[in-house]
Amino acid sequence: MNDMSEISGARDASGSAFTFTGQWREFLPIALTNLALTIVTLGIYRFWAKARERRYLWSRTRFIDDTLEWTGTGKEMFFGFLIVMAVVVPALLVLNFGLEALILRGEFLAAGVIGFALYAGLFYLYHVARFRALRYQLSRTFWHGIRGGSDNPGWAYGLSGVWRFAVGFVTLGLLIPWAMTRLWNERWGSMSFGPHPFHAEASSEGLMGRWLLIYLAPVLGVILMGALGFAGAAAGSVSGSEDGMAMGAVAAIFFGAILFYVLLLILSLSFYALFYRHVVDATSVAGVDLRFTARTKDWLKLILGNIALVVVTLGVGLLFISYRNWSFLVCHMEAAGVVDLDVLTQTTTRAPTDAEGLADAFDFGAI
Amino acid sequence: MVEGWLYDGRSAVRRSVTVAAAGSSLRVENDGGDSFEVFPADLVHIESRGDIEVYGRSDIPGWRLGLPNTAGQEVAARLPARQVYGGFIDRIGLPKALAAGALVSALILFVGYSSPAWLAPLVPMHVEKKIGNALVGDFGGEYCVGAGGQEALNKLAARLSPRAGELNIRVVNIKMVNAAALPGGNIVIFRELISEADGPDEVAGVLGHEIAHVEERHVTEGMIRHLGFGMIVALFGGSTGANADMLLAAGYSRGAEREADERAIEALKRANISPAATAKFFERLGEHEEKLGRIGDGLEYLSTHPMSQSREKLFKDAEVKGATYQPSLSRDEWEALFSICHNKPA
Repeated sequence: MNDMSEISGARDASGSAFTFTGQWREFLPIALTNLALTIVTLGIYRFWAKARERRYLWSRTRFIDDTLEWTGTGKEMFFGFLIVMAVVVPALLVLNFGLEALILRGEFLAAGVIGFALYAGLFYLYHVARFRALRYQLSRTFWHGIRGGSDNPGWAYGLSGVWRFAVGFVTLGLLIPWAMTRLWNERWGSMSFGPHPFHAEASSEGLMGRWLLIYLAPVLGVILMGALGFAGAAAGSVSGSEDGMAMGAVAAIFFGAILFYVLLLILSLSFYALFYRHVVDATSVAGVDLRFTARTKDWLKLILGNIALVVVTLGVGLLFISYRNWSFLVCHMEAAGVVDLDVLTQTTTRAPTDAEGLADAFDFGAI
Repeated sequence: MVEGWLYDGRSAVRRSVTVAAAGSSLRVENDGGDSFEVFPADLVHIESRGDIEVYGRSDIPGWRLGLPNTAGQEVAARLPARQVYGGFIDRIGLPKALAAGALVSALILFVGYSSPAWLAPLVPMHVEKKIGNALVGDFGGEYCVGAGGQEALNKLAARLSPRAGELNIRVVNIKMVNAAALPGGNIVIFRELISEADGPDEVAGVLGHEIAHVEERHVTEGMIRHLGFGMIVALFGGSTGANADMLLAAGYSRGAEREADERAIEALKRANISPAATAKFFERLGEHEEKLGRIGDGLEYLSTHPMSQSREKLFKDAEVKGATYQPSLSRDEWEALFSICHNKPA
């Protein structure tokens, strides 16, 4: 019997069971050579680039006593992409050109029906893609030589995504937090690590307050713009001309509109921050309870930092966005509980071969 | 003999092991006294963790062997080499791979983007007509049919090109200042372009330009380039491919626009129509351009065509001083064309 067979994920001196030890100086050569190879291969290398990037990020992510390992390969991601392209692209092309031709012929009803079906289908695939991307990522994530996965193909999850969001929209968005939490539960509840299923039991209770705040944004925005427009017109009228008044009002309303978008962004972000803490806190696996600690201001700092990095470096910083996002996730992830290594055995789930082809078609990020 | 650790891929428990060379393979013995052999051909290098090198087995997922990088010569010789970029690049080295990649890509792009120019003339017109009709249809019946207007337009076209009879030139009742050459010899002129024009000679230059696009098979070429090659590059290449496609396609379209302008000027010359009128048309569009900074009504034309200023100069320079030009249409014909979207059909 190995005396290391039970290890505690509870907070230790370093603060969290998850630590990220990456350094930008180590990542830079990877990012730069990835960029160069991607350019000279007209973009084909991007699959291998993503695999290299993840291999680095995972290898610098420590959980309790050992690092994660990413075993996904560029080749399988490329083939996953090819499989999806072979199925999705012809369908999209036919529908797209068919639609254009119908519209140019004035067959608006038929075009509308087909268009609606097309978008509903895409919405369905979007959810399937999200599910399968997670399944793939877990199946390629190893810790202590053990990986995660799922035997659920995600087709039913796609339907669930469509009807739950349909309910969310029909109720004027009021049930969207409900749809989001249920889908999180369904998605993660279908996953496992080793022999242990994930448990996700988030409810939408406690989320509604912040969600309703977002509804206030347009109201506040209109009041703000009205007030600013009026003030602007007053300021403009100092010049004595009607033109000055109009210009002042327009400038003020423009300014107000920008403020409104910033407000909306912050309110949405604050909802998302709460949502993410809420659902991660309700998620556990193998006796380990997960926790996420990022608050709105942390998310805001991440996003503003990303924007500033890209602007200041004239775009070169784009290479570091995935690095920063991953480091953000890991640094705010915590775990409590005890992992019994003796019963953490290899999964029997199938390792999917379609990689992230479908998700790639929707251009998802790493998480 | 080297000391290391092992995950067997079945359990998460890490075992201490010792590894020693045994013939052509490696013998791994764990702390429980069990031992087994591993063939070097089954081993792959996974990663370096500080001074530990981690190896995996291609036949057992999750099987990981960690050995210090100071492993003696005997063991080290049986371990696989590091992989950095992926199989083939590691074999030839990064600089060579970059050079080879750039060369092959440039070749593919060159062939892919220049071949439509010589493929286009090989597409029979009747095939293109079918594709064109399938794609474009009849604009939902939005064609303008005011009395005498179509006859005037056809006459104008006939003056510009001896093969104008094969073309289908229509005015469309859509509020845009634009004209477009579409697949299958279809040319559409949008309503506002006619309203903005100050006389038939101004329309003649624009029409000549679109006719040239058809006759030079630019439309066919563009279609092959866009639907054939561009789409493949953008699909397979992701954002990198899409950017490359955008740049190259823009380059070809600039060339085609310039060629169409030159051909239009030749056509005007043959028909003895003054190019100065077209220059004036562009001058007026250019004024809009300056005043409104490319925003505003009537500027769609600029977004799909080159900037007005340079084109104005091209047409102006083509004017022969002191020459006596003929108006391209009679007064009555122009009236009919001008009001084609307002007059009742004959």
